Amino acid sequence: MAGDTVRNRRKALGNGAVAAAGLLIVMFAVYASHQPTALTLFGVGNLLNNTIVLALAATGLTFAILCGEFDLSGPGVIAIANVVVATTSAGSLGAAGSFGLVLLIGLVVGGLNGILVAYLGLQSLAVTLGSLIACQGVALLILPAPGGQVVDSIAYGITGNIMSVPVPALLLALTIVFWLLLRQSRMGLAIYAVGTDQAAAGLSGLNIRTTKLFAFVLAGLFYAIAGFVFSAEIGSGDPRISDSFLLFMFAAVAIGGTSLFGGRGGVLGTLAGAGILTVLQKMLFALGVADFYTNIFNGIIMILAILFGQASAYLARRPERRGT
Amino acid sequence: MTDKDLANPSQATEFGLRSSRRQWIGSEIVPALTVFAATALLVVGMKIANPSFGSFEQITAILVTAIFLVVASFGQGLVILLGGIDLSLGVIIGIGGMMIAEWTHGSNDALLYAIPLTLLCCLGIGLINGLGVAIAGIPPFIVTLASGITFYGVGLGFTAGNSQQPVAPAIQHFMSSRWLGVPYPVYFIVVFVVIAWLFQNRSAEGRKLYAIGSSPGAARILGLPMAPLTIAVYAISGLCAGITGILLAGYSSSATLDMGNALLMPSIAAVVIGGARVTGGSGIYLGTLAGALFLSTLSTVITTLSLSQGFRDLVQGGVIIIALLLQRGRLNLRSR
Repeated sequence: MAGDTVRNRRKALGNGAVAAAGLLIVMFAVYASHQPTALTLFGVGNLLNNTIVLALAATGLTFAILCGEFDLSGPGVIAIANVVVATTSAGSLGAAGSFGLVLLIGLVVGGLNGILVAYLGLQSLAVTLGSLIACQGVALLILPAPGGQVVDSIAYGITGNIMSVPVPALLLALTIVFWLLLRQSRMGLAIYAVGTDQAAAGLSGLNIRTTKLFAFVLAGLFYAIAGFVFSAEIGSGDPRISDSFLLFMFAAVAIGGTSLFGGRGGVLGTLAGAGILTVLQKMLFALGVADFYTNIFNGIIMILAILFGQASAYLARRPERRGT
Repeated sequence: MTDKDLANPSQATEFGLRSSRRQWIGSEIVPALTVFAATALLVVGMKIANPSFGSFEQITAILVTAIFLVVASFGQGLVILLGGIDLSLGVIIGIGGMMIAEWTHGSNDALLYAIPLTLLCCLGIGLINGLGVAIAGIPPFIVTLASGITFYGVGLGFTAGNSQQPVAPAIQHFMSSRWLGVPYPVYFIVVFVVIAWLFQNRSAEGRKLYAIGSSPGAARILGLPMAPLTIAVYAISGLCAGITGILLAGYSSSATLDMGNALLMPSIAAVVIGGARVTGGSGIYLGTLAGALFLSTLSTVITTLSLSQGFRDLVQGGVIIIALLLQRGRLNLRSR
């Protein structure tokens, strides 16, 4: 029975993701018609470079939200990852070593969040607010002022091409493949089940605690990767630069049709949401709209996306009710 | 978040056991008193470590800088009491400060209409948040996030991002002068706290907010005016943010659109440290006040010790999690 509910909910999520993807295509078309270079390999690579950090970070957030929990710690992990890469990658650790260290940081922060929320039953919003502020503090302690140096092999490696395919495109493809595999797995189903109805999931034998811990750890790892890629893009460390990410991460998830109450939505929608937020800025710029008005459009698109998501979820539920 | 009670069975049974109002308030006051005690301990500890600290001057200085968080966290506390959250608070503070600076242009002449107009605009943003939550039925997290982003854009559009006119001297004077040796802001805090406390914990409206926050379904069946109260709470939060913006502009004698952002997270932290659940329906105003005073004092102490800001953030984050763990211990102890 829980499986049926999950399947129905997932049918509904399809609508949100499809709508977001549709909007993304329309916006990209408008952008491309005003900016002919948009369709060249360089233009696409550039766009992907601008999207990939938000896409990875918002993907991490999606895992936590799908199982019905909030996670505000993302920008904190990204900040630590950034300053760690900026201070260690040029030293003895090297590129690979700093990547390992960054992953470890994501694992630790995500693990702590998960233990506090899943095993000690604390409120996720409050816990991750605490870990966000603490992580930002740690980042400031590691690197009090902007500076440091990201080693060239990372900076050029991540932003460049492998066999004329932009690396961000590969990362995006890997994320999608990972998501599709996860969604089919037992753990993926468990995440949806826990987010949809925790009591029912528990009664049907799923381990709620492990599922939530898994989601938080996965989120932490994705934030860490996002921080690593972000470092490669800006080429130096700045403990404060990721502060503004939080709103856009949530915006990407919300626009992508994932319900903030959990159990409905998915990573594909989130990726489309991140794309929309990036293309929106480029589209408005290409249309000659002043830079600061993009914020207004960001806000309005968020609200419209949510209203649309609610409407589609409502429509998706109606026939189901009639049938039973 | 509807299954919050299921996630924490001890909490669910506890609501059922709460019969008398006095008993309820009584149990909620423990975290508030703990945080007050921690604040006092912080001051006394500093006094021992550094005898020049803790003079009357310094205590009042701490209170003056605490005014922003005290005012802002009241609105945030009410919203959280309803099970919502106000993420637009930082932006509204910035907008309030920018408006008062823009309209007064460093003279007192315009103050008579500038203050009410500024407060009205901030209240209006709160009202929009409330309408989005209560009428459109959009999750508070999204509504306030989106309105924050949107109005930040509007603010940027009007100011082109960088105008910082001097604020009316009267407001600067208010923030920096004393009467009978005590700074004006301290009187302001006292009056504000009394009004806030009376509203949240001693008025019929306040009681209704607790009812809605702890069980929206039951409140609806009881026939409580859910939508008007919800809208009013978000409007009050906007109003408080507006007051904070005016005071902050007076304190720093100029305004930037970003100046409120640093208060958003602490305003939520103050409510949480004070013992409220972010899922709504619990916590008392004295807890929020204690949380705000604690965070402000902590900030001052760390500045006095000339520790880095990173250390301050680390401690603040740790304090939130410790407060949550203590809260959990308290709940388990009582349900036993």
